Amino acid sequence: MNTRRILKLAVRVMQQVLRDRRTVALIVFAPLTVLSLGAVLFRSKPVVVSLGVVNEDLGISSPVAGSINLGGRIVDEIAAGDSFRLVPLNRSEVEARLRDGTVKAVLVFPEDFTASFLKNRQVALDLRLEGSEPTRSISITAYVTQAAMKTLAGLAGTGLGTLGSAPAAQGESVLPVSVQATYLYGGEQFDTMDYIAPVYIALLGVFFVFLLACIAFLRERSQGTMERLAATPASRFEIVLGYMLGLGLFGLIQVTLILFFTVWVIGIHYNGSLALILLIVAIMAVVGVNLGILASAFARTEFQVLQFIPLVLFPQVLLGGTFWPVADMPTYLQPFAYAMPIYYANVALRDVMLKGWGLAEIWPNLAILVGIGVVLVILSALMMRREVA
Amino acid sequence: MISELVLETTELQKHFGKIHAVDGVDLSIGSGEIYGLIGPNGSGKTTLIRLCLGLLHPTTGAIRLLGLNIPNKAILAKVGYMTQASALYEELTLRENVAFFAEMCGSHEPAWIDEAIALVDLQDRAHSFVRTLSGGMRQRTSLACALAHRPRLLLLDEPTVGVDPQLRATFWSYFRRLANSGVTLIVSSHVMDEAERCDRLGFMRQGRLLAEGSSAELRQRKGANTLEEAFLKFAEDGNEGGQR
Repeated sequence: MNTRRILKLAVRVMQQVLRDRRTVALIVFAPLTVLSLGAVLFRSKPVVVSLGVVNEDLGISSPVAGSINLGGRIVDEIAAGDSFRLVPLNRSEVEARLRDGTVKAVLVFPEDFTASFLKNRQVALDLRLEGSEPTRSISITAYVTQAAMKTLAGLAGTGLGTLGSAPAAQGESVLPVSVQATYLYGGEQFDTMDYIAPVYIALLGVFFVFLLACIAFLRERSQGTMERLAATPASRFEIVLGYMLGLGLFGLIQVTLILFFTVWVIGIHYNGSLALILLIVAIMAVVGVNLGILASAFARTEFQVLQFIPLVLFPQVLLGGTFWPVADMPTYLQPFAYAMPIYYANVALRDVMLKGWGLAEIWPNLAILVGIGVVLVILSALMMRREVA
Repeated sequence: MISELVLETTELQKHFGKIHAVDGVDLSIGSGEIYGLIGPNGSGKTTLIRLCLGLLHPTTGAIRLLGLNIPNKAILAKVGYMTQASALYEELTLRENVAFFAEMCGSHEPAWIDEAIALVDLQDRAHSFVRTLSGGMRQRTSLACALAHRPRLLLLDEPTVGVDPQLRATFWSYFRRLANSGVTLIVSSHVMDEAERCDRLGFMRQGRLLAEGSSAELRQRKGANTLEEAFLKFAEDGNEGGQR
């Protein structure tokens, strides 16, 4: 054992790392960026959710308490908190507003809301949920229930309050509030896995071909075959398209496998057409190949390719609406989400898998994704101008 | 006299910043000849070859290859190129490599592929993976890759670098066979004994063509016994010219 030799070796290793400025930058900045992004996203205040309200409650005029509109009181209670932005709606608008996403849920009070409460001693809430984001559905249900409970507690001083608490006094432990939740998409059986699964598919599809393309292209350069290829009549578009086809096929096979596994083995719910899901994923594979080709221009070794994982892929995962709905992210981060190709795949895949939407509804996101694909193909080809004339 | 011009460069210059890698080269090379680009490392041989293929754009000057102006992607189907280090796909077999480059050049003749492999005497290893081949075999495979589309012009950049003397002799017998069948070869080298085997030589130094001619002519002009001596004398003239 020669300590001097070991030290010399250690110094040389350190020199090599230090010479590679990007590695140094990554060692310092990558974990900090990922951490702070995570912190911002995890700690971000829940955004104000738009809640539609259809209040047709006629209320009652009690000789004891005077005129009382229970529906209105519950609405006031919800409005007192800052979690919801209330949108008064007509019954006829409910479905359309849920579909276009301008409200996340609608609370409906029928004409006889107060009256039936007096009769049944029960507040039966009619809650219509959009349902494609299971965690949000749960929190809305919980909040609305809580607001109704508080309203009842507030009625304690009035004649209505006594009436309300009457069943409990008789020893029945019936909760005075029940929620009749109906879902536009999915339902109570939808869980967080259903929400995340479509994204898994998009992410894995893009990740695999990205690495494959990046390393394959890098090798092409380092082993000199790119130079040889450049000296043949093959144009750079032909080369990019060839790569896209070859690796895209692998990506598609892999994603098909993931898709079938998630649907049949993990048992996630999906409503839309399988062909459409595959189409989205195929476009995503094209995006992945070309991102890989582009990234390979900035890497000299396969180790540097690995460094692209935090640089290129983590932001996609964190910002692309994978775990957090983009609408819930801080406003200054939202523009970045729209810059992530995976965001559009996420939205399109969720629309198809959770909402059962067809091509007619998802085409705008699909078109953007295709656009990104085309731009990336052109950029990859341009990037190769250095080596292939 | 030259019957048909295969490659012609006029006033060719390529600058990389302050470095003049190719500094005014005029070449005319006819068909069926073996032309040796002879010069030390860094004299501009590789840059010149890459310019001729259209892989680099000249700063000034023009190149005509088989009668067409370069850059021209289509004409590359009639050109074979061998890089200094063997450029092969490790994961493919020898034959798959040769077939790939032939296809890229628009040739779909399986017979030509076998013929190219036979020329470099590697028939029995045709289905071996490249990663299992020795250095010399890789070099020969690289040559086969440059041949299988039956090019009219071969640009070989230091094809015999790192090749043992016996294999080097074999390579030159391949080259002569190809030249006899009408293929034009441009071979770069910094080894003088290889230069002797060329029909015509161009001495290159610092991006300039010092002198051109057959080996005998060049020696005679400087009254030198060896080509090496002749090269050094031409280089001295070049220096004086530079100081003037």
